[in-house]
Amino acid sequence: MASTSPALAPATSNDPLEPALLIEGAQTDASLNDSLFGHVWALPGKGWWGLFGIALMGLTLLLVGLTYTLYKGIGAWGNNIPVGWAFGIINFVWWIGIGHAGTLISAILLLLQQKWRTSINRFAEAMTLFAVICALIFPLIHTGRPWFAAYWLLPYPSVNGIWPQFKSPLVWDVFAVSTYFTISLLFWFLGLIPDLASLRDSSKSPTKRMIYGIFAMGWRGSGRHWAEYKWSYLLLAGLSTPLVLSVHTIVSFYFAVSVLPGWHTTVFPPYFVAGAVFSGFAMVLTWMVPARHFLGLKHVVTMKHLENMNKVILATGLMVTYGYVMEHFIAWYSGNPYEFAMFFKVRQRGPFAPVYWLMIFCNVVVPQIFWSKKARTSLPIMWIAAILVNVGMWCERFNIIVTALHRDFLPSKWEIYAPTWVDWSIYLGTIGLFSTLFLLFLKFVPAVAATEVKELRHEIAHHAEGGEAHG
Amino acid sequence: MSSAPVPPVRPRVSLPLIEEARADTEVKSREVRRYWRSIAEKEGSPSLRAAAAREFPAGASELPEPNRRGFMQLLGSSAALTGMAACHQPQQQAVPFVRRPPEVTPGLSLHFATGYSLEGFSTGLLVESHEGRPTKVEGNPEHRDSLGASRAFEQALLLGLYDDDRAKQISYKGEPIAWRRFLAEVALLASKHAADGGARLRFLSDPTASPLLGELRTRLLAKFPNARFVSYSPVACDGSADGLAAAFGRAVEARHDLTRASVILSLDSDLLGDGPEQLRLARQFAAQRVPGPGMNRLYVVEPTLSVTGMSADHRIRMRAGDVAPFAQALAAELGGRGGFSQLASLGGAGPAASGVDARLVRAVAADLAKNRGRSLVVAGRRQPAAVHALAAALNAALDNVGVTVSYAAPLLLDARAGAAPIARLAQEIAANQVDTLVITARNPVYTAPADLKLDRLLSRVPTTIYHALYQDETSPACGFFIPAAHPFESWGDGRATDGTITITQPLIAPLWGGVTDIEVLAAFLGEGDRGAHRVLRDSWQAKLGSVPGATGGDYDQIWEKWLADGLIVGTETSPLGDLSLDFGAVGRELSAFNAAAPRGAGFELVFAPDYKVFDGRFANASWLQELPDPVTKVTWDNAALMSPATAKALGVEVERDGDKLSIVAIEYRDRRIQAPALIVPGHADECITLPLGYGREGSEQVGRGVGFNAGALRTSEAPWFDRGAQVSLATGMHLFGITQNHWSDEGRDPAMEVALTDFQNEHSPFHERIEERRGSLPTIHAPVDYSKQQYKWAMAIDLGKCTGCSACVVACQAENNIPVVGPEQVVKGREMQWLRIDRYYSGDIADPEVVIQPVACMHCETAPCEYVCPTNATVHSDEGLNEMVYNRCIGTRYCSNNCPYKVRRFNFLDYTSETPAVRRLGMNPEVTVRSRGIMEKCTYCVQRIEKKRIDTRIEGRAIQDGELLTACQQGCPSGAIVFGNLNDPQSRVTKLHADARRYDLLHELGTRPRTAYLARVRNPNPELAKS
Repeated sequence: MASTSPALAPATSNDPLEPALLIEGAQTDASLNDSLFGHVWALPGKGWWGLFGIALMGLTLLLVGLTYTLYKGIGAWGNNIPVGWAFGIINFVWWIGIGHAGTLISAILLLLQQKWRTSINRFAEAMTLFAVICALIFPLIHTGRPWFAAYWLLPYPSVNGIWPQFKSPLVWDVFAVSTYFTISLLFWFLGLIPDLASLRDSSKSPTKRMIYGIFAMGWRGSGRHWAEYKWSYLLLAGLSTPLVLSVHTIVSFYFAVSVLPGWHTTVFPPYFVAGAVFSGFAMVLTWMVPARHFLGLKHVVTMKHLENMNKVILATGLMVTYGYVMEHFIAWYSGNPYEFAMFFKVRQRGPFAPVYWLMIFCNVVVPQIFWSKKARTSLPIMWIAAILVNVGMWCERFNIIVTALHRDFLPSKWEIYAPTWVDWSIYLGTIGLFSTLFLLFLKFVPAVAATEVKELRHEIAHHAEGGEAHG
Repeated sequence: MSSAPVPPVRPRVSLPLIEEARADTEVKSREVRRYWRSIAEKEGSPSLRAAAAREFPAGASELPEPNRRGFMQLLGSSAALTGMAACHQPQQQAVPFVRRPPEVTPGLSLHFATGYSLEGFSTGLLVESHEGRPTKVEGNPEHRDSLGASRAFEQALLLGLYDDDRAKQISYKGEPIAWRRFLAEVALLASKHAADGGARLRFLSDPTASPLLGELRTRLLAKFPNARFVSYSPVACDGSADGLAAAFGRAVEARHDLTRASVILSLDSDLLGDGPEQLRLARQFAAQRVPGPGMNRLYVVEPTLSVTGMSADHRIRMRAGDVAPFAQALAAELGGRGGFSQLASLGGAGPAASGVDARLVRAVAADLAKNRGRSLVVAGRRQPAAVHALAAALNAALDNVGVTVSYAAPLLLDARAGAAPIARLAQEIAANQVDTLVITARNPVYTAPADLKLDRLLSRVPTTIYHALYQDETSPACGFFIPAAHPFESWGDGRATDGTITITQPLIAPLWGGVTDIEVLAAFLGEGDRGAHRVLRDSWQAKLGSVPGATGGDYDQIWEKWLADGLIVGTETSPLGDLSLDFGAVGRELSAFNAAAPRGAGFELVFAPDYKVFDGRFANASWLQELPDPVTKVTWDNAALMSPATAKALGVEVERDGDKLSIVAIEYRDRRIQAPALIVPGHADECITLPLGYGREGSEQVGRGVGFNAGALRTSEAPWFDRGAQVSLATGMHLFGITQNHWSDEGRDPAMEVALTDFQNEHSPFHERIEERRGSLPTIHAPVDYSKQQYKWAMAIDLGKCTGCSACVVACQAENNIPVVGPEQVVKGREMQWLRIDRYYSGDIADPEVVIQPVACMHCETAPCEYVCPTNATVHSDEGLNEMVYNRCIGTRYCSNNCPYKVRRFNFLDYTSETPAVRRLGMNPEVTVRSRGIMEKCTYCVQRIEKKRIDTRIEGRAIQDGELLTACQQGCPSGAIVFGNLNDPQSRVTKLHADARRYDLLHELGTRPRTAYLARVRNPNPELAKS
């Protein structure tokens, strides 16, 4: 692991580049065990039940919305011709994007040996998983005949006597997203195994011991186990890394390979990936800020972690801004009248102009506040900014999908779009589903990768003692 | 009794079994073939018929086909029930086949010629029939008023036939009674009225030119000499009848002919989009729209933008009341500077006084004078007698009579059918001079001028007999109610505008026991139980000597030929040759008009027949309700149409991207209605146009409560237009289902147009522009080579010919089983018509130029929809069709998103499964009915291509150019749509694709569309274009 590399700067408090502490206070393995597993063993309090109740209400909205959609058809939504895609695909892209923070933190930061990831990776990975679950609802439910869409997109010798159309980005997406979900699930679960074993060993009831025991998959912590574990973890990290780039690239192909002004844009793949990481970190922050407070994790999720995430938000926010600038520049520079009208008339002055300007405010203006260290380390500011970024990224997808569709080539077929209650209930419902899953996650598995934190503590302690690298 | 092959379900006396045994007459019957399935067959292709009959082996016809069986059961039972309930006469019998008649092959359609009378004149139709079910209406190519085309109205007759809302029960004051009982009552009434010669007996009917109805009328008048017949139509053109009568000193009817008209001036006449001549005039007009020396020029003077106005080269907007001063100014100009001295006295106050643009008048007058003998002045139905008389005088002075206009003895039984006759009837009723009123007119309580209060008056008539298709607004006020047979269930006859006689035959036995008006009238002659067929057939047999070419020979054969042709050749009446126009009389008519003309202030109200529901009679046809209005693109509504300036002055607000507008209150002569405003560029200022036919309150479930009843403001004194209305903003907004809110083309120039002079100038920028929009674009992919295929299907749409009448849209809907989605869905932008007609305004918003563009699937060779579909549900055929495979479609809508033309339509909801069983009988069995969640679009009528392919393959030949028509092409009156094979160098479509006006829509995208457009060439007057 990290400590085997002599080139790596030790993650100590006296490093000028990493001046803040990654673990606060004098911690031992035992104290970390207590504090990190505490929220699993503690009985749910009133706060948890209250939040869980709200989340379940959201989930109910989702079920109502989905049932009604299946019963009535897509006509229950606000979609029309020309706006063939609206909330369904907006929400899909939004949720998939949110998932990206987890993958980035788990995989790329691991490969880059960024120690600050250890306290937040479990949290972020879980969010990836739940976000992808939320996202996966949409490609299915948004089709006219989901009962066929569920399996006709898979390449198998079907009754249709024809393969799926491999030129369609929707087919690419089936592979991209299913791979993404599988790898994310495996990665998250693999990382959990040592912690699950710890939970098994420290649990006091036989039932819990049995359940955690099953999921711990016979982990005994032997040297061989650790060796295999480290290797597979690294391999999965290697597999995940291209996914961070590929999934949202392919999602952006939905739009980029089309002919529509506002969609047909070559900057989309990198700009979508940056946007995904941007929104993903914002979502992690949105949940992390309250969670570290209520779960008593302030000593492992320190201000330094939060500040680092704010820096990532600032950086990716700048990339997103660059994407916007390039889109507009090319629309002007290309001399294409349709694109020019889309970028300089329809979006800025059309019926959905408020959405555009909200997007600009949230995604371009708001992140600039993180140039200031004071803002980066202020909990209320970062929390509000993170929520605004999530709003902004949703607006961005609305802007790309609905605004481009409702005013395309021929003005005769321009139509206004208005979402229905079903659209809103499904959207809010997925937030409910996400919250439900997340609250259950907090109740059943450690929110912080205890194994990795303990390992990190050892490294820090070791370096503080000035000893040689080992272990 | 002839035993010739009978149509599948036609009233008949004997069972087919018995006929089958009479083999000797079978042979004869083949010689007198009545039925023909297609034009090709009609034109004599004996092998085709034989081949068609071979399509299935003997016995296959007995295959259980739920539709057919179920239908036969329905027919059998309804006939039986009708017999029991109404004791109907056996002439109306229909029975299931015991042996299949030789001409019926399950799966193959037959065409029957018939006709439909609207405004008194009959338009010839061919109705396609599948196993006895009429499924599609087409025009009769040999009929002069159809020429193979049909209006949206005729297309939608099919929905009226299968309309479950139709009245089904004979009743007296709501109580069901039997037909026998009715006949007995009528016999009693007749004997009572015979005493005083029918002095207290009145008949109120639609205007008609039917010879049989005329004969019945003569016989009735012989029996009841003091009885009176009144015709009423809310859209009657009485101004023409009165004006021409004044001008010529006798009653005449004008007939127009645009084939040789170089300059046409329409004085508020919607000649291309309204009236019984419209199909023929549109064809003749379009034929002269090809750029060149013979190209015609159309001036339109009108208050509200019409179909004709959209086609005009110069459109002059003015209030309807200002048309007369304009026409007089024109006469003055022609009489003065033009040198037509006869007209000088008709000039009235002159241009300066009437406030008409003098330069405009001068230019129009000069153009008319220059084209003396090749011009035409037409006055519209709204205009008063004086304007019609003046138009006749102008035509006479310009030597147009006999060339572009001719006058003939009236064909209509009553020359006048407007407000005056019905007002007189109302007076008689009010004076208790009417004991029995027989109403065969359509819904007079709704359509009659509101000041007559006909609903109250009718209750004062002791006996009223109302014969109608629906239990509408009139039926509660009447005693006897007789459900009418639909035109496709009726025997009858009629005349075309040139007098040609059309025999109309039923396509199906009355579904709900309807009765024809012939039978109702015959009842007063004691012949109510003879049946319309017998009455009609006997009547013509008696008149046989007077029919040209019908003397001698077997009447059965003659009769069958008439039915098969759909018309009696050679029965047109010739124009009157010895007419002379009395200019003095015209002058007197004009001065009387000028003296009486109201010069009031306030808003002018203008009433207009609706392009979709006409006068309300088509209100229950959902195809028409959902058809976007040719001008306003409004569906499921009417509106108070006004100019942008008027709307601004009134403070009309527009919300939701143009879908939602303020409601205005209109007060006129102490009557007040509220109506949603709609802004129409090109409308006259201080003027409100109110389309008729909405706000229905009858039993018609589709039309009930749609829009507002403009008739509530109509008076018998001013049935068409009048000033003096107070208009103010009311509270509230109204949400319209408008299919096109955007007026401007945003400079994208999708519908190209050019002035004739620019078109003829090779160096004009137009040629550079259009050159960029055709030919192949550089591509990294080698285009697919279609030249080796036998067929390479393609279409060409001539924007210069399209008037925007929208008949093609309904024809497509009928052919392809396109569902109707209802107003809420249209508001959401989910209309399903595969073909839409785009309309763009350009220039000054107050007085714009309009261009019209039909858009359906372009069948792009490199179609953007195809590569994005994940399930291969939309693929390309080897002949270049972009095909939809409904079974594979999962409804991602990606194809629609990526379609730059937005011609794909999605079944957002289940629009079809709740279709009433009876309506399903009219579905085209050759086209799949699509389920929820499926994408659909124009297929180039692939079912017609395949059917023709099968037919021609059996004959061992290729499909010839012109024998395969798409539904839109077939319906189009002006011939703007041409479909055919690009691999045939001689085909019309190949030539049009090579035309100098050809361009591709959104050519720069490289989609290589198979549908090409031909730019519209305008022919503006150079004098006026200079400004």
